[in-house]
Amino acid sequence: MPPFKDEQIIVSPASPVFTFSGALILLKQIIAPGSETTVAQLGLPESFTPARLRVRSRMFPAEKEGEWEPYKIRRRNDKPEASAAEPQDGAPGSGENKTNGTEEDVVYEEDRVSEEGAVWPIQEGKIVDWSCFFALITHVYNALNPPFHTPILLIAQPVWTPKEHEKLTQFFFEKFKTPAFGLMDAALASSWAYGVHTSTVVDIGKDKVDVTAISEFIPHIQGRVTSLGGCGGEALTQALFAKLSSRSWSREMCEQLKKSPICEILPAGTPLPGTKDVGEEETITNLAAAASTGAPGSGPAAASTIGNVPRGPGADTEVGDDNNADEEGVLDVASIVTGGKMEEYLAKKEKEKQEKANAKKKGGAEAAAAANANKPVRLPNSKRAKATFLYEDHRLLDNLKNMNLGSEKLAEMQNQLDEGPQRHGESANGETTSAAEANGHVDANTNARSGPIRRELEVGTERFQAASSGVLEKIADAVHRTISSVDEVNKRSELWDSLIICGNGSRVRGFKEALLAAIQSKYLISPSSATMFTSEIPSNISTPTGTGANTPQPQLGPHGGAPSHVNPLLYAATTAQTQHLMPHNPTSHLPGLSHNAHSSHGQTPTSIKLVKPPEYFPEWKDVGFDESAFLGAQVAAKVIFVVDQGQSKGYMTRPDYNDQGPTGIHDYAL
Amino acid sequence: MNTLNSSTAPAAGEYAGDEVSAIVLDPGYSTIRAGFAGEDVPKSVCPSFYGQIEDSSQYLFGENAIHTPASNLQIKNYWGSDGIVEDWDTAAKVWEYAITSRLTGARAGDPARNGLNDDPKQENGEATDVDMETIENQEKPLEESPLLMTEPGWNPTKAREKAIEIAMEEWGTPAFYLQKTGVLAAFASGKASGIIIDVGASHTSVTPVLDGMVLKKGVQKSPLAGNFVSNQIRLGFKQSQPEIPLTPHYLVKSKTPVDAGSPAQAIYKTFSVPPTDSFRHYQEERVLTEYKESVVEIWPGPGRLSNGTNEEIAKSMPGRPFEMPDGWNQVFGVDRFRAAEGLFDASAALTDDANPRPKDEHTLPRLVQAAVQHVDADQRPLLLQNIVVTGGSTLLYKFGDRLNYEINAIYPSTRNKLIAPGPVVERKYAAWIGGSILASLGSFHQLWISRKEYEEHGANIVEKRCR
Repeated sequence: MPPFKDEQIIVSPASPVFTFSGALILLKQIIAPGSETTVAQLGLPESFTPARLRVRSRMFPAEKEGEWEPYKIRRRNDKPEASAAEPQDGAPGSGENKTNGTEEDVVYEEDRVSEEGAVWPIQEGKIVDWSCFFALITHVYNALNPPFHTPILLIAQPVWTPKEHEKLTQFFFEKFKTPAFGLMDAALASSWAYGVHTSTVVDIGKDKVDVTAISEFIPHIQGRVTSLGGCGGEALTQALFAKLSSRSWSREMCEQLKKSPICEILPAGTPLPGTKDVGEEETITNLAAAASTGAPGSGPAAASTIGNVPRGPGADTEVGDDNNADEEGVLDVASIVTGGKMEEYLAKKEKEKQEKANAKKKGGAEAAAAANANKPVRLPNSKRAKATFLYEDHRLLDNLKNMNLGSEKLAEMQNQLDEGPQRHGESANGETTSAAEANGHVDANTNARSGPIRRELEVGTERFQAASSGVLEKIADAVHRTISSVDEVNKRSELWDSLIICGNGSRVRGFKEALLAAIQSKYLISPSSATMFTSEIPSNISTPTGTGANTPQPQLGPHGGAPSHVNPLLYAATTAQTQHLMPHNPTSHLPGLSHNAHSSHGQTPTSIKLVKPPEYFPEWKDVGFDESAFLGAQVAAKVIFVVDQGQSKGYMTRPDYNDQGPTGIHDYAL
Repeated sequence: MNTLNSSTAPAAGEYAGDEVSAIVLDPGYSTIRAGFAGEDVPKSVCPSFYGQIEDSSQYLFGENAIHTPASNLQIKNYWGSDGIVEDWDTAAKVWEYAITSRLTGARAGDPARNGLNDDPKQENGEATDVDMETIENQEKPLEESPLLMTEPGWNPTKAREKAIEIAMEEWGTPAFYLQKTGVLAAFASGKASGIIIDVGASHTSVTPVLDGMVLKKGVQKSPLAGNFVSNQIRLGFKQSQPEIPLTPHYLVKSKTPVDAGSPAQAIYKTFSVPPTDSFRHYQEERVLTEYKESVVEIWPGPGRLSNGTNEEIAKSMPGRPFEMPDGWNQVFGVDRFRAAEGLFDASAALTDDANPRPKDEHTLPRLVQAAVQHVDADQRPLLLQNIVVTGGSTLLYKFGDRLNYEINAIYPSTRNKLIAPGPVVERKYAAWIGGSILASLGSFHQLWISRKEYEEHGANIVEKRCR
């Protein structure tokens, strides 16, 4: 096996002369709260960046049984030229239309946004549908389109069993003819990313949480908690859903609420806003806050406003109009539209808007004054009783598409239904028009509504209660169990001191802090007051004189050397670190037993800390280390494929595979 | 891969003739160890405890399922009080879970849906459904893996036959072997002869092994083991003045630091229907385990704790603090020596109505004595030079020192040697590791009971072949 050379990687892959040897990293992982995503990357840049390719981990059943398509294929009975001009795709110019026989009037089109009928081959980290999973991997592989000499490093979910590793090995070698293949445990990868050899990795996924204790780069397989169900990002969504379903919110709405920056998990004991006097809080819409917090995932609209002057409250503020807003916000527009009542709906909305505008004009002066007064205050999200966010209504779009409208009609309807900031730019007649809105206005015209339909939704304090269903406690318990199951008692303390909370389920604002607080409040052992140095000063010691003559000398006690005159606890505390001074000098031939030989606390944890994320990955710093497993894999790929030239046996080569077969992977897996 | 024929040369893929895919299963009272032969630690360590939803036949297996408080969740164990499997149906399921969840994953899905918790008909249909395009089409979990299982030294014929039945009929294993834990623990230490002292959760056993064979009549067992120590700790808590509260983690919402000995000031959780007693007991065990790990110490000798001034000396030793989940904390002085003293000295055990005084012949020194007495006098020195200490409860602090003292008191000799592996995993999983070694030996291939032989001779073949 020729080693994979570093220079080859630094050289631009565009140069065809070189054998390309960038590592392809495939990471099966769970991403962006609540969505399962596969991320992958071809080649190792000099500075590690977040994954270049992100694919939703789902496939769609193709027409033929057992075959899979990466995108939803829709059947259209439309005229072919209409479909060719179809603007609804998020990735323009990628040739999304697969016109399948124009001679008939049946046209198949790919719909890259819709997820109707998708099959998700990975659930709770486990591969539940192998044929679909392999299809997904093939799709990812083809999307990267790697040259022939590309080694592959695959991040393995902790819950995958050795037998499944073998299956995967066989697949990669035989399907892709890869020259080298490595498997890396996701938790281990995270610890590589953070650059710590001992850590407890808490990976918060979509439906599950994995907790792994790693010491000296070796995961403790026996006690690790894998695939702990019901406490990932999905559980947070469900908790929101439980709270909001009574107001006829859909699950999808809750999902997007969770991803929006207004959803936050407050530290235990923080009073919910609105429980006290609700005065000015109500009058602030959150769009500005959404932009200024800079949290990811609030849609292109928010992104476009970042960097511009945030819109102050005013234009869209709906003062005292809560009931109305509620009703309107959660109406099932999708069914209205499919029911053919769209015109009525739009008319109603228009009317409401007029009313509001009138109301505003009436109290014009005061309202403006109030708005101005509010502007500088700008309460943090956690203090506001209500906030709004933009909801992208995929279902509505799906429904529109299914109605088989002409493309122009579709675009028009999309435009009408969309409530993104652009719309507001149009309708904000004469009121505060900021630069952001002016931009937005232009966008609205040029973009021609290619994305999903957005609607503004308002939500109360429910948005702080995503973790109210005991998710944090469950995870905390899992962490405690994992660390307690580490056999070497003396390693536990270090494990508690190096928690890594990663995974996209932990992206919700405040989640990590809240989880850490939950663990600390439950498991932290406080220094025992009995071991403090206040008690039992032996009475036969006289006050030390200036000469030091009366300073008590340590004396050896009768048994094992514990000094009898000094408070034994004091002695224990002071000698805890120095092995040779230990009173119970373990002369036994049982070295394993000396682990808890002497320290004032055999019990752990006496402190619980998070590991500080690494400083030297600027690109990662910007997006956060939630996908640290991928970063770790990049580091590992660099090390095992390039730096040590295969010395560490971090990957299996094709000759190895030919010799040993799939079972050989266990000798190589990291 | 033909695993049954020992005369053919091993294929190149098999390292030194290892049967890499053989699975070693070592079920114990507290945990089940399972893993692939040839590896140095079991990959799968599952609790033997399982959950059952009251008044239904729904079972919950695995760590994740049995630690969440639920109002009607009963925590059970399939072992009987005599150290023999009692509930075979569930035992088979728990074992299967231990193997499939972390080793083979033969059946897709999580425990709720993988068929383990449904009726068997459904599961087969589902399995074939999902595995359509997989590389090997498995219907039974172990169709391609020979299975080496361990058993306690006192396992009756009926239980042994039942084990091979499950392996062959339910799991479809191509080959099977049953070996006693004592022999395997000796192998793990590289010994063919010796006395194996195994202090587990429910039982302590002392097994004399000569040339890889167990001397059956010499096997001693006693209920004085880890669970006994736990009970002693509970008793100690109860009898102390004032009573020490034992609050498991799940009852506590958050705690605040308090002074040593003063009542806890914690916020407790409230349950509309409190979880069952068995659940609470199981969760309390977790606290007690922590207590054992960080506080309990065995009086290392010389002499017993109650001898002469020993107790005074113990009192003068530094205490060790312990904090309960609810924040209550105290420094434990001489009390921490008392918890496990009963293992060695029956008269020192704490007692009450429910916990009568243990029998003298159940203490460790007496067990060793009884076991050695069943061996020919000329072979006793050989055994005493190879005293293998294994089992999780032997990790109690100073256990080895005391055992060494006790044995030397009975058989004074300078050549008595305690073999207690240092690394904790080797101590805890000795029997499994021995199994892993045994099953990966090329020469072991001829010992397997093949499926064909089983079909020919029936379950009773296990009596003839596995001695």
